Amino acid sequence: RSVEHRDAGWKLFGKVPPREGPVKDPRRIQKEYETKTGRAGHSNLTSPRQNVRKNLDFEPLSTTALILEDRPANLPAKPAEEAEKHRQQYEEMVAQAKKRELKEAQKRKKQLEERCKLEESIGSAAQTWNQEILPNWSAMCTSRRVRDLWWQGIPPSVRGKVWSLAVGNELNITHELYNICLARAKEKCRSTDAPLAPLELIKLDISRTFPQLCIFQQGGPYHDVLHSILGAYTCYRPDVGYVQGMSFIAAVLILNLDTADAFIAFANLLNKPCQMAFFRVDHSLMLTYFAAFEVFFEENLPKLFAHFKKNNLTPDIYLIDWIFTLYSKSLPLDLASRVWDVFCRDGDEFLFRTALGLLRLFQDVLTGMDFIHMAQFLTRLPDLVPAEQLFQHIAAVHMTSRNRKWAQVLQTLQRDPERGSPVLKR
Amino acid sequence: MASAGKEHLYKVLVIGDLGVGKTSIIRRYVHHTYSHNYRATIGVDFALKVLRWGADDTVRLQLWDIAGQERFGNMTRVYYREATGAFIVFDMTRPSTFEAVLKWKADLDSKLMLADGRGIATVLLANKCEQGHPLPANGLKMEQFCKEHGFAGCFETSAKDNLNIDEAANFLVTQIMASEHALLRRAAATDTVTPQLDRRRRSDGCVGCLK
Repeated sequence: RSVEHRDAGWKLFGKVPPREGPVKDPRRIQKEYETKTGRAGHSNLTSPRQNVRKNLDFEPLSTTALILEDRPANLPAKPAEEAEKHRQQYEEMVAQAKKRELKEAQKRKKQLEERCKLEESIGSAAQTWNQEILPNWSAMCTSRRVRDLWWQGIPPSVRGKVWSLAVGNELNITHELYNICLARAKEKCRSTDAPLAPLELIKLDISRTFPQLCIFQQGGPYHDVLHSILGAYTCYRPDVGYVQGMSFIAAVLILNLDTADAFIAFANLLNKPCQMAFFRVDHSLMLTYFAAFEVFFEENLPKLFAHFKKNNLTPDIYLIDWIFTLYSKSLPLDLASRVWDVFCRDGDEFLFRTALGLLRLFQDVLTGMDFIHMAQFLTRLPDLVPAEQLFQHIAAVHMTSRNRKWAQVLQTLQRDPERGSPVLKR
Repeated sequence: MASAGKEHLYKVLVIGDLGVGKTSIIRRYVHHTYSHNYRATIGVDFALKVLRWGADDTVRLQLWDIAGQERFGNMTRVYYREATGAFIVFDMTRPSTFEAVLKWKADLDSKLMLADGRGIATVLLANKCEQGHPLPANGLKMEQFCKEHGFAGCFETSAKDNLNIDEAANFLVTQIMASEHALLRRAAATDTVTPQLDRRRRSDGCVGCLK
């Protein structure tokens, strides 16, 4: 009866019904097998196998069934030494499996301990941020200790606050101003339905922002918030409008800040020189940034740089996505947030330093690839980028070239556009 | 590599307005998957499709999935360089994306021209065809539209239901090969005209240099 029930259940969910009758419970199979072998083994009741079985407290079912089987009755019996050999092999396998299990259990335990430790350290870090650093922000934010703590990642509970403080509000945007911009955007939304209007583009892009999180999609809890912030921005800066990539940045801010504060951080973040250059799609200025990047690329990773050059892989191909979304599209969100942490501390330079860190981390893989595979790899990074390792590689990147820092290199290139990226200028 | 088999490498652009399903088509074609959950493309994405062609040739299609927002035009147009074929995609449920098709085609033709003065092989894809036919242009009209505007052909595709995508790609490859042959014949016939030869050599280099 129960089998019938299950059958109906499968159909209910549109699955194909099982082809050969009901699915057998593995335990039943095992039982059947045991009764069968028991019957078959009647001729030699004192099979050594039986003893072996009883001695083992750990016994993977499937392998028992396969390995300890005697030859079928119609074949000559196994010679004793072969049987012995097989038993030994079997025992070895079981011992190994046991060892593996134990090792994995230990690993799991260690992971759990590490997680507890991590959570504890996050907890205590959050306390430090909340009680010591945030109340004395302007005095402490440049201190060595805070900078070190900052590099290790800001605890999620204070992340939004720290970002807000670090990004600042040079534009003096108030909550009222946000509400005014939002109201205007809503009005515009009602009055026009031009297909290429920025508000229409925003609508299309919102559902494609962190789709795996399912919170920005139509009907999701943050759908309207994301729409509001992006819409309000097109009214605040009609000259910039909506540019793809913005939806990812706004979304990350929404995850860490209240709506109006997220808008303030958003507008101020986009107002930074590098972001302005990119979001206004100021092509020549973007090329200058790429050229500066190439200076440090060549300095830090000369071999890979030569390999990229040989394959005509220009930095725009991967940097555009990384810079426009501040890595939030290409890195796992928790790792991207850590990049944002230090980006808020160090500015534009850190975005390019992160790029070099990524290239450094994947240097060996990349050197073995041709153009299309490198391009594919870099525009779609592996799902699991190891956070600690990446930050070690970022830390190892030198951001000085012939005694010049990033800002100086950039400035020199800006003054002399002729020295722009040799590959891109054609 | 089979000794007799030739290897062809073609760079194919996939362009069209934002959200018409360019990435979905490529994911379906190359990775045989479909999801509602594709993220917006920023800049350019890549994919490589390797096809057996005929008895023992291999075709490697480098697909350049280019972001659809008009604003990126300045930045992404450099990616047209040395392409040998293109898909222009529109969304059958959004008429404005069809209106934009001619803008994309003109853009393409202004940036890329073969040695004989013709544009590169371009195929029009009417995507999301599983969602009905609200377009005025279909059937005969579409054929005429293609002829008038220099499209090699048009396919109604659905990345969701996997309709016509392989067919469209095979058709494009055939067209690319045909114009390649035409160019070679032309070059052989007029081998005194130096500038055209130079140009041809460049595109040859693109086809031949890869392994």
